[in-house]
Amino acid sequence: MADGILFEERGIPAAAVITDAFRRTADAMARAQGLEGYPYVAIPHPISSLSPEELRVRAEQALPEVVRLLQEVEG
Amino acid sequence: MSRGVTAEPTLEAVREAREVIEYCYGRGWTDGLPVVPPGEEFVEEFLSQVARDPEEVVFAQEHLGRKCTVRLAAAAAVMAGCRPEYFPVVLAMLEAVRDLPVSRGLFQSTTGQAVLVVINGPIRQELGFNCTDNVFSPGDRANATVGRALRLVVLNALGIRPHAFDQSTQGTPAKFSFCIAENEEESPWEPLHVERGFGREESTVTVAWARGTMPVEQRDSKQPEHILLSIADSMSYGGAYFPSPRGHGSIVVMGPEHAQMIAEAGWSKQQVREFLWEHFGRRAGELRRLGKEGGLEAQLPDEAFVRFAPAPEAITLVVAGARNAGVSTVCPTFAWQTVTRRIPGRRV
Repeated sequence: MADGILFEERGIPAAAVITDAFRRTADAMARAQGLEGYPYVAIPHPISSLSPEELRVRAEQALPEVVRLLQEVEG
Repeated sequence: MSRGVTAEPTLEAVREAREVIEYCYGRGWTDGLPVVPPGEEFVEEFLSQVARDPEEVVFAQEHLGRKCTVRLAAAAAVMAGCRPEYFPVVLAMLEAVRDLPVSRGLFQSTTGQAVLVVINGPIRQELGFNCTDNVFSPGDRANATVGRALRLVVLNALGIRPHAFDQSTQGTPAKFSFCIAENEEESPWEPLHVERGFGREESTVTVAWARGTMPVEQRDSKQPEHILLSIADSMSYGGAYFPSPRGHGSIVVMGPEHAQMIAEAGWSKQQVREFLWEHFGRRAGELRRLGKEGGLEAQLPDEAFVRFAPAPEAITLVVAGARNAGVSTVCPTFAWQTVTRRIPGRRV
């Protein structure tokens, strides 16, 4: 989250991806960086025990939302 | 300055104290236990113990926009229940923690690491740090409050609290306070700080990431190999292992009885560390049985021994506890580099 926000501040489009177990921390980080409500993509938890194939499915599922966030213009 | 128990307080004073304690809870300043209210006068008293600019930043977490100044450190020490003269120890401890590897991220880690603090040198007696029986237990003010001051800095100054930035899956009670002193008097070897190039008459604080404590029983044998294999086996439990890029380490807090038996048989501290390192790990087949395939090469035979630590230096050896039983403790960690700092003398 912090990295995504710092990228955005420098004009580089970013899309933060978290697993849904980390929503609370992600929201807290957005507040700490002064960007409450900063949008992110939350994918189902867990991922560390997934096979590479299962992980690929997760990535494909998240992709449209990632693209949408990258294209979103703040306004 | 109040020293020890003075006159019995009035009922009114006790009621006021309770209200102030509740006020601190209400402000969200505590670790769940009551804190001493950090009145400005008390904070100033602590600051007078060190020759430092109160606004100097001791420890920052840039990604959270938070920092701990000398003044905030003093407030945490007051709140933790420290005596003013403990403050130079608290400050040296915080500076050592700042210099730990990954001090930016590990306070927030799901792994829930605590920081083990080890005190060496004459300051142990001067301030009353316990290094003998119950060295990990509650009961001694210096140990309990210095260790707690670190946690209050993390919670309040750095803003890393449970349910938000501290993401520990379970954490450990060692996060309340985790401060011991080395039993230099009953250790057969050079103390930790001397090993690291400090003089025996200097006082130091050493800090290390640690996930908790695991006790090691070995009262049946006085053979060094038996004792050390029991310790190495406890360092190598399956749950400790994951394919960490930096490898694993261990802080071995050896009871004086074990240490003396091993030393009497002629073993040096370095030999002990090397032996423990050689036996710190599991066979590949055992890790596979636990489903811990990650990081293991497919061709590695089941009989191959997988060393958990990259080098003997990943094992820190401290002697502490009572010389009353064959008991030692191991503290597992994966961020094994430790930091030792000198505690400056009292301000003149």
